[in-house]
Amino acid sequence: MNELAYASIEREYNMKQREKFLWIILGLLVFILGACSGTTENESDQETDELILAIGGEPDNGFDPTTGWGRYGSPLFQSTLFTYDKDFNIVNDLATSYSLSDDGLTWTIDLRDDVRFSDEEPLTAEDVKFTFETAKTSGSIIDLNNLEEVKSIDNDTVEFTLKEPESTFIYLLVSTGIVPKHVYDDTYNENPVGSGPYQLVQWDKGQQVIVEENPNYYGEKPNFSKLTFLFLSEDAAFAAAKAGEVDVASVPPAFANEEVEGMELIELESVDNRGIMFPYVAEGEETADGAPIGNDVTADKAIRKAINIGVDRQTLVDGVLEGFGTPAYSVADNMPWWNEDTVIEDNDPEKAKQILEESGWLENESGVREKDGLPAEFTLLYPAGDQIRQSLSITFAELMKPLGIQVKTEGKSWNELENLMYSNPVMMGWGSHDPLEIYNLYSSETRGIGYYNANYYANPVVDDYLKQAIRATSEEEANKYWKKAQWDGETGFSSLGDAPWAWLVNLNHLYFVNANLEIGEQKIQPHGHGWPITDFIEQWHWQ
Amino acid sequence: MGERKRMLNLRQRTIAMIIVAILFLFGMVISGFLINADKLTVNLDMKNSAPSVSHLFGTDWLGRDMLARTLKGLTLSMGVGLLAAFLSAGIALLLSLLASWNKRIDSMVTWLIDLFLSVPHIVLLILISFAFGGGFKGVVIGLAFTHWPSLTRLLRAEMLQIKSAEYVGVSHRLGKSRRWIALHHLLPHLIPQLFVGFILLFPHAILHESAITFLGFGLSTEQPAIGVILSESMRYLSTGMWWLAFFPGLSLLLMVALFDLLGRNLKKLIDPFHGQKA
Repeated sequence: MNELAYASIEREYNMKQREKFLWIILGLLVFILGACSGTTENESDQETDELILAIGGEPDNGFDPTTGWGRYGSPLFQSTLFTYDKDFNIVNDLATSYSLSDDGLTWTIDLRDDVRFSDEEPLTAEDVKFTFETAKTSGSIIDLNNLEEVKSIDNDTVEFTLKEPESTFIYLLVSTGIVPKHVYDDTYNENPVGSGPYQLVQWDKGQQVIVEENPNYYGEKPNFSKLTFLFLSEDAAFAAAKAGEVDVASVPPAFANEEVEGMELIELESVDNRGIMFPYVAEGEETADGAPIGNDVTADKAIRKAINIGVDRQTLVDGVLEGFGTPAYSVADNMPWWNEDTVIEDNDPEKAKQILEESGWLENESGVREKDGLPAEFTLLYPAGDQIRQSLSITFAELMKPLGIQVKTEGKSWNELENLMYSNPVMMGWGSHDPLEIYNLYSSETRGIGYYNANYYANPVVDDYLKQAIRATSEEEANKYWKKAQWDGETGFSSLGDAPWAWLVNLNHLYFVNANLEIGEQKIQPHGHGWPITDFIEQWHWQ
Repeated sequence: MGERKRMLNLRQRTIAMIIVAILFLFGMVISGFLINADKLTVNLDMKNSAPSVSHLFGTDWLGRDMLARTLKGLTLSMGVGLLAAFLSAGIALLLSLLASWNKRIDSMVTWLIDLFLSVPHIVLLILISFAFGGGFKGVVIGLAFTHWPSLTRLLRAEMLQIKSAEYVGVSHRLGKSRRWIALHHLLPHLIPQLFVGFILLFPHAILHESAITFLGFGLSTEQPAIGVILSESMRYLSTGMWWLAFFPGLSLLLMVALFDLLGRNLKKLIDPFHGQKA
């Protein structure tokens, strides 16, 4: 009985081994076959008017602008009232003009009267009204709490009434695509109809989206009648680019140094930044959900300042991003509301040490600084699985050692982070085309609201500037206050002032693009998601 | 001819094999402990370099020495394997002794064994590990709860055989309690089987730990586990950095093979009757 049992286990084991071996052989065969077929297919250079793109960005919630589609650029199927040009000037799209009342509460917008949706129905003020009313009640990330009401005055005039003046309201008009009232229903996110340059043909979830030209598009016609978006992993997108199967492929920095025949690497600058969010208050409190708030070490301004000055951002760019990025000094580098004076001299360990010494952080025998028995150490968290944030965190920890600050790194799931981020520094990423993000990150009003202001940062002077920026009635005036909130010469939320963040790098978005395809100049790209590269699709053409 | 050249007899060869395997495994663990943090630090000047004399296994994308990372990973895997195999063997022993109590408990234990064997290992492992919150604790508990059935089956069979032996019956009639019989008659005879089974659990536990870590359900990406190293390296295969996956994978295989060798030879030595049959 006993030996039988042994023998059967042994047999099972041997069979398993044989099976494993077979699998390996099979795998090798498939690999070799795949490699062979990959090389035989040569890129057909004839001028088709179709493009295949592997740029990721499949939306979880579908293509409904009222729940956030297109917020990070180019809704593609829909069009917006206003749009940005390459230099972030706001220009008309569906709108022909707008006026703002003196009290800053009423926005009146005139619409084009020649616009039809892809199903031939005309786009009217009713559709605009419907879009914003739907978005307001959708409970999504689009924040329209301040919108009192939308009225359609006549067929091509809309009036928005706000509860309080809000200069950033216009950015919602830039980012929200207009949906047609007559076909909108629960399945709209899977069957979008709009007035944008393209219309949806087919969406195979997790695999691809096929779109074709919208014959009714009122703007400049694109040169390509059909686009196919493939949703591939980074690895697969790179392999597809190598095999000449796609015309545009987005790749992470690790692949960008490879040579790909027939493809050119396009680097787009972005405000897609990565930085460390430091808890700003001392330990002790808890959120309503019981998550601890505050961190005694990072609550010390000297620590945050020393880190900002001592870290070598260029090393992070060169080492982790393979040079495909720029040092970041704020959440909105190079945007119109960015205060250029806040760029600091970093990589200055001597000055950083001096700041620490002066505020009482002295090195002990093991090389870690201490202040009143509190060692200068913390755990830097990052979302596990994000390789760039992991590498940034590990390298950052390394760079902090000479300063005498001990940093441990730990990868966590987003669920875990939501509980830990109020009491631990986290490697986060932001970067938007809407200055409201600044308000959300630094205003004391947004403390502890989701990922916004997880620092629990509060500075009354900054709050005041932020409010004035929101209340401003012109962009110039608003930008002036946005800049003052960063640094007004005495205080601010930038690294010159309270430094609740250490912004580290802006990622360049990297695409392998068919060498014969000209995509023209692009504007500075926002944080991930969506298809911002297709913003100026009408200027894409074959050389 | 061949006979004359053999300097050692079977027993001596077996012992020699055991010693070699133990030495190798010890070497791995000791070197894993000896590696100081310096070797694991980021060195961006040296990143992505192919295997060379100064970096035998090459370096990764942050310039960390892969040999050092691999050894650290193996040490960790060994720790996980040790703990899990120990717990598993404990569960197996306990259940097989319980099975000696009466028919009812015996059939229950058999039912449990069948239940656990009927579900694919890796699925159960992922489920349990996930339910216990993943990480080191989750993996060890998951491994411990999934690797006992085959060993339990073996021990139970052995136990039934001993239980039917005459001297056990005599003991029973002399009024010894079941507990006394279990501890004084059954346990000592189960020890060799248990020990061999324990060693042979190691390779399974280690491989499964790496497997679920590779799949992302096991140890967190923070730990220098082999599974983590392997899953990270998959991202770099298409850029031609083969050494990131090759050497750690090979080392893992080597360690598993060594444990297997050790287990088999130990079986030959301390359980010759069954050992010879294999």
